Amino acid sequence: MPEEPDIELRFRGGRLVSALPIALFIAWAIFQSGILGIGDTTGLVAGMLTGLIVGMLFVRGDWKDYADVIFAGMTRRVAATAVVAWLWAGMFAETIQVGGFVDGLVWAATILNVGPGLFPAVTFLLAALLATGIGTGYGTAIAFTSLVFPAGLLLGANPVLLFGAILSGAVFGDNLAPVSDTTIVSAVTQDADIGGVVASRVKYAVVAAALAIVAYLVAGFGIPGVWSGMPHASVTGQVDASVSPWGLVHLLDIAIVMVLAIRGRHIIEAISWGLFAAALFNLALGAAGVVDVSAASMLLFSAPQNGLTQAVEALPLVGALVETVPAGQVGVGGSIYSGAAGFFPLIVLTLLLVAGAEIMRAGGGFDAIQEILIDRVATTVRRAETTMVLGTALVNATVTINTAAEIAIAPYVATLGKRFNINGYRRANILDANTSALGYIFPWGGGLLAGLGAMQGLVGGEATPWFTQQMVVNPATVWPYVFHGWFLVGVFLFAAWTGYGREYVSDRVSEEVSRV
Amino acid sequence: MSRLEKLLSGWTFRTATPTFDAGDVITAYVTHRDSDGYSVRVGDSVIRVGDVDDVAIETKVRLKITSFDDATYEGTGEVVDVLGEDG
Repeated sequence: MPEEPDIELRFRGGRLVSALPIALFIAWAIFQSGILGIGDTTGLVAGMLTGLIVGMLFVRGDWKDYADVIFAGMTRRVAATAVVAWLWAGMFAETIQVGGFVDGLVWAATILNVGPGLFPAVTFLLAALLATGIGTGYGTAIAFTSLVFPAGLLLGANPVLLFGAILSGAVFGDNLAPVSDTTIVSAVTQDADIGGVVASRVKYAVVAAALAIVAYLVAGFGIPGVWSGMPHASVTGQVDASVSPWGLVHLLDIAIVMVLAIRGRHIIEAISWGLFAAALFNLALGAAGVVDVSAASMLLFSAPQNGLTQAVEALPLVGALVETVPAGQVGVGGSIYSGAAGFFPLIVLTLLLVAGAEIMRAGGGFDAIQEILIDRVATTVRRAETTMVLGTALVNATVTINTAAEIAIAPYVATLGKRFNINGYRRANILDANTSALGYIFPWGGGLLAGLGAMQGLVGGEATPWFTQQMVVNPATVWPYVFHGWFLVGVFLFAAWTGYGREYVSDRVSEEVSRV
Repeated sequence: MSRLEKLLSGWTFRTATPTFDAGDVITAYVTHRDSDGYSVRVGDSVIRVGDVDDVAIETKVRLKITSFDDATYEGTGEVVDVLGEDG
């Protein structure tokens, strides 16, 4: 970590006013996403920018110091590490998706020919597998709601339970995947390597997942299924004809990333190897004609039509990545491009949030809140860990974009944990599990909104003409059924109280963060 | 530490009050300061290290345990190496 800046800021109204930029951001996030229902990360960037400007008005003395602190925050290593890891993870996830991985899972779900009672439990497992591979719970919620949800309804599964199972799978992957944005933030902010963090959190994730599977089985067979009047049919025949199992070969490149990450290889190296493998598989699958994928699915230059571009398009090899298009459609595309670009708003938001946190640190607001927590609330290690669990859960329950909430709460988890010499792995696990869980439970949670958006897309869709507006699940009814999320929080409350999985700094030193 | 060891670490119930033996050398953060100097709290156990130069709260140090009372979970130690903030 770079040295702490020496600048101290003084605010009109006292130390707590230095929390104004982040407090305004949180209020903005609740207003935008919770009340207005707009899940737009770039909108949150505008909120954080506004917070930073308003905060400056309360600074006593030279405003230049305030600006310097913003720069000091944005150049912290924690921000840069998260940014780099997201770009790589985004490229990888998008590349296996264009390679038919989701189709492969849908194929697996249908070939197993599970009935309505078993369907939610199987959906949870497959969604967990996808999310662990691609590291994005939001992407999993969208893909599974679009593809597996209608298949489950046709089989007669309960829609609310099924949606809960999809969100539970997304929670599992968001929590465990080495390429997940929340995993990366949890490791980087608690000074621990990503591979070690993933390996150490298996012990919590499998306990919660085992309980969740049992719960989905009990509920799947115990709760009545679909609405009357919905066309029940075996979809096995239809789906078999349209999806290919071949995308499942991407399980191999997911395994490469996970094994290399857990072995302690740098996350950039681990994902790069996975990316090479995924690209080669895609080229092979496309050449064999079993999956609709090509080099252009991964990288495509759409150039304006003229003599030069047409000559390039006609070239061997390079030409496969170039197409000529009318002037209005010019651009670059493909999974490498869109996978990385998908993270741009979150990257900018993260840099600004870290700047906001730095202002809070320089202005003493961080210390003020911390003193209250340490002196009055977290007086024993059990109470400290319980505070970390509940604090993380509370912030994530109120802020829609869970990565943003995680970054805001991370410094408190670090400080509270260090005061009791709680190991970096344990701190990262408490932080990430409760971040992942709460982002998918409530109606304003980003993951739930992502899945709901996909469900709206099913209404009158070409593949689902029978799906009507009244079949869209009411988002306020799902919260009791996101079993894995609730069990994960429960496992951590149990762990805080009993010491399950607890490790101290003196028990095991986490590896250097530079090895992430 | 091997991959397997990483996976298998911590599948236990760890006490809130870990104990140490005199002579143990551990790595930990300095956590508190009072009139008797600095102390290192590991869970709810406390090891007093006295006044040390170049150390502040949240500095990571290697320290040698000089005494530890298993009944009160308190002990004393001396800092042998200062590892820095996030060493």
